[in-house]
Amino acid sequence: MRTILFLLVFLPLAGALFHILAGRHVSRRVVEIVACSSVAGSFFMALSALLALKQGPLRVIFLRWFEAGDFHAAMDVYYDPLSAVMALMVTFVSALIHVYSVGYMRDDEDYARFFFYLNLFVFCMLVITLADDLVFLFLGWEGVGFCSYALIGFWYRDEANAAAGRKAFLLTRLGDVAFGVALGLVFVLFNRLSISHVTTHATELTAASATVLGLLLLWAAVGKSAQLPLVVWLPDAMAGPTPVSALIHAATMVTAGVYLLMRLFPVVLMSEAALSAIAVVGVLSAFYAACAALAQKDIKRVLAYSTISQLGYMFLAVGAGDVIGSMSFLLSHAFYKALLFLAAGCVIRALHEEHDIFRMGGLRGRLPAVFFLFLAGVLSLGAIPGTGGFINKDRILVAVFSHPHGAFKILWLAAVATSFLTTLYAFRLLFVVFLGRSGQSVEQQEIHPIPAVMTRTLWPLAFLALFAGFMNLPAVWGGEEWLAGFLGGVPGTVPHLHISPGIEWFVAMSDGVVALAAAALAFVLYGPVESTRWRAVFIPAQTVRDFFLSGFYLDRLYQAVLARPYMELARILWLKVDEGALDGCIAASSRTFPLLGSVLRLWTTGRISTYLLGLLVGLTVMLGLLVIRFYAG
Amino acid sequence: MIPANLLSLIIFLPLLGGLVVLAFRRHPNPCRWISLGTASMDLFLILSVYLLEIRVHQAGDWLIVEDTSWIETLGIRYSLGLDGISLLLIMLTSFLGIIVILVSWTQVTSRVALFHFFLLSMQTGVLGVFLATDLFLFYLFWELQVVPMFFIIGIWGHEKRIHAAVKFVLFSITGSLLMLAALIGIVVVHGSQTGHYSFSLFDLVGTSLSSNLENWFFAAFLLAFAVKTPLFPVHTWLPDAHTEAPTAGSVILAGLLLKTGTYAILRFAFPLFPSAAGVAVPVLMVLGLSGVFYASWIALAQKDMKRLVAYSSIGHMGLIIVGVAAWNAMTLSGSVLQMINHGLTTSALFILVGMLDERVNSRQLSDYGGIWRKMPVFSGFFLLFCMSSLGLPGLNNFVGEILILLGTFKVQPAAAVIGFMGMVLVLIYVLRLIQDAFFGEPRTDWNVRDITGREALILVPFALLVILIGLYPHPFLDLVDGPVRNLVLETGTAMNTGAM
Repeated sequence: MRTILFLLVFLPLAGALFHILAGRHVSRRVVEIVACSSVAGSFFMALSALLALKQGPLRVIFLRWFEAGDFHAAMDVYYDPLSAVMALMVTFVSALIHVYSVGYMRDDEDYARFFFYLNLFVFCMLVITLADDLVFLFLGWEGVGFCSYALIGFWYRDEANAAAGRKAFLLTRLGDVAFGVALGLVFVLFNRLSISHVTTHATELTAASATVLGLLLLWAAVGKSAQLPLVVWLPDAMAGPTPVSALIHAATMVTAGVYLLMRLFPVVLMSEAALSAIAVVGVLSAFYAACAALAQKDIKRVLAYSTISQLGYMFLAVGAGDVIGSMSFLLSHAFYKALLFLAAGCVIRALHEEHDIFRMGGLRGRLPAVFFLFLAGVLSLGAIPGTGGFINKDRILVAVFSHPHGAFKILWLAAVATSFLTTLYAFRLLFVVFLGRSGQSVEQQEIHPIPAVMTRTLWPLAFLALFAGFMNLPAVWGGEEWLAGFLGGVPGTVPHLHISPGIEWFVAMSDGVVALAAAALAFVLYGPVESTRWRAVFIPAQTVRDFFLSGFYLDRLYQAVLARPYMELARILWLKVDEGALDGCIAASSRTFPLLGSVLRLWTTGRISTYLLGLLVGLTVMLGLLVIRFYAG
Repeated sequence: MIPANLLSLIIFLPLLGGLVVLAFRRHPNPCRWISLGTASMDLFLILSVYLLEIRVHQAGDWLIVEDTSWIETLGIRYSLGLDGISLLLIMLTSFLGIIVILVSWTQVTSRVALFHFFLLSMQTGVLGVFLATDLFLFYLFWELQVVPMFFIIGIWGHEKRIHAAVKFVLFSITGSLLMLAALIGIVVVHGSQTGHYSFSLFDLVGTSLSSNLENWFFAAFLLAFAVKTPLFPVHTWLPDAHTEAPTAGSVILAGLLLKTGTYAILRFAFPLFPSAAGVAVPVLMVLGLSGVFYASWIALAQKDMKRLVAYSSIGHMGLIIVGVAAWNAMTLSGSVLQMINHGLTTSALFILVGMLDERVNSRQLSDYGGIWRKMPVFSGFFLLFCMSSLGLPGLNNFVGEILILLGTFKVQPAAAVIGFMGMVLVLIYVLRLIQDAFFGEPRTDWNVRDITGREALILVPFALLVILIGLYPHPFLDLVDGPVRNLVLETGTAMNTGAM
């Protein structure tokens, strides 16, 4: 088991090492094979570890990392059902996306650099998933931030890409500050930084320290998962290659934030305030991003905002106390969002790097396979009844609706409204891109052939997107909630919600109706039959659309309030304060200082070298004395 | 097994080599080879000490001491001592001693013999500072290191070298003259109390001083060391000195001279005047953290790459001061490790900027852009050291910083929280540096080659050390563990009584 877990975590790192040391000197074929097989190997390890996980959670130490005083940091893993499921998802999606990338990056010259970062990313993500020591987890946490930075700016010759990468790193690190402070607090409170220790002793926390800790963890998670107010980096992150968007900015890294909250859930559970804050942040982000997604024109930006929105649901679920609901949603989201991104990547490739959905259109006939794959993703994202996406979203909504606190009913309403918007933008995307008349881009150009390896890897994802949710089919509909049962042992989880069938049916019906209504509306507005009358009624004015398109001008606000003043002040601080006032002050005080004054006079008469010479002579005499003593004594 | 005067040999071997080099004034290449040979021999000596002593290593003990009478009438002795902390620092010194010679191989072409003489005598001064346990001897070495640096900047520097060199010397000697006065002061007080005049650190520790006097003495010592560290707000000499110095000078400044400041604070200033130090802890923390924020902020606005790295240096040293001020086993270990880390990372960055300067003859960021395309291997190294500088886990700086910050959190949570926020400011300027220099399209169509074999030889050891310390810092932390425990035990208690 120890070996299996070791290989699970470190195989991708070995791959990364290979690329950086030898990647420039071997053929593309070799790089491809090493990259894919290291991640695939990791996946098989995850699978066999899962099958071997019988005797409860397991803690394995690989290496004592560093120690000082009473502080110990170790490289270790804590393997429990939660991390087992997460690791399986991460390695599975990563492996598929590695294979996809072989096709997508076929013509790129910097092949080895790409797979270096990608493999390194998988390693860091697995560290987040499995680490027991929070400092080790932090290694993964910052590591994925670095990889994300490097991969967003992968095509660095365009400054905009590099700037987007920089922004992502910066905003996620704003969250990391809270992580660091949380480390300090945990260390003071528990004297150890091990997740297994913290979660088993969480009940000893006082309400106040649990609240502070919970809020710190929330802030850390907000940075990584691009929730309000640190959302602005994720839409820009789409500057990276599409496989990167699918892997890092949809399926895995961005979920690390909410995963952290699940992993340390017993701590969060101790604080009512922290839970509510998590739920509120989740709902607000979900609603905000769904609005923004409705107005986007870039296919990848629609999906990016959609990711923020869906992550909001996961936060909401954690805030409502339902870790299992959040986790199942996370898994299902990983599948359909990776699928949607990768399918979008096929479209973009086929249309020679076209991103604007209004220049696409009518692609159903030209790219039938991609259409069906995309359809599967949209159905699941739109939570159409009968898909896995619906089942998982339903569980969250039931948990929120049946929450004992009355205010959660408001959150439920907001969540349902967001559901409506979600289905609306999902189908808008589908209709605009694949149905209707052919757009300019489609008519003018030949369709660029897509390597078969790209579409083939999508079928397993499509299957899982549609059906993975059935692992958690509630008893009301004859399901067994297998996943919930498996995760049940994780501290703080509630495997079965025990809600009366009436409520369950009510929530499910309302959600289903909302989804179908939104799909119908999307058909009317964006479907193959143009209806100007309905559009006039439902499509808001240009100013509102611009407001949504820009993400509520949040980015511009941060630029004006934070980034630009910071830059300006840096210049002022340097020229006016440091080289002006401060340096001037010291020079002036040195003139008034008698001792220094005399030294200064030495300088002004050009005799500083005389002084130094004197010093040197003095030293020589002293040392001479020593030598004499040495031999005389 | 170990020769009796091994420490003296380690200290004076470079100076001896320097004198030999002077004899080859017309032959640059022999100068380089002799210097390299001397420096390598020194590193070999130190490494053999490390390998031999590590086995009989007792927690906190002085591993080797040397003690000879010198100027008996004044109670001055020639005494040296080596413990884990100084061992680590002299390893860094001799390692960088070799590096600077390699770096200057093609960069310095005028007055080669004199240059190498100064490099080597500089090394003797720094080694002496790290090993002296007699205060007078320490003072001599402390001053000795200023002289060669002055000439290195003043003769081989860039455009405004004279101004920078003079500023450097003025700042240094102002501080050290005050320290000399305080040093004589404490010896006199100690002598009048015990009737035995001594400059030995071990004798002087524990001298009872009136709190007023102790505060003044501590302030004088601290000023001397703070200038060298440099601590905000007496740092203003550093950007000039770094910018104008040749690469070798910058490496010595960042890698070694600054370390003598923090080393002296924890070896001399705190143990000699514990209760005054206890009172000064909040001030030091505030100044250290101000340094982190202030310097990191200003670094963002820099146009000259060397100046940018220089300001980053001030920020990093500020955090080391925070760690020293918090004075517990975690933070002290972190601070000592961070001295090494900063010595490696910042030196590497200066070397890289120097290599660019050598190719393009400019240090202005605006002249660069798109380097990645032209020099991928070089850029990879640069990225690695930048990530090290911003404290990416898995690389060296993270270990030191997290120890300092978590350890500080235990005694002063607010300071630690502010320290964590500093992480973001560091990130901002580092990312800007990378973006402006390496990304985008090349702004000028200069034709440059990627790194040469000699350059790789310089950079690879740095890279390996950066990764080794990041992933497995035990060999380094184990060395400082014992001495740090002793410092905490002896000085820590006295500090607390002072603070109360």
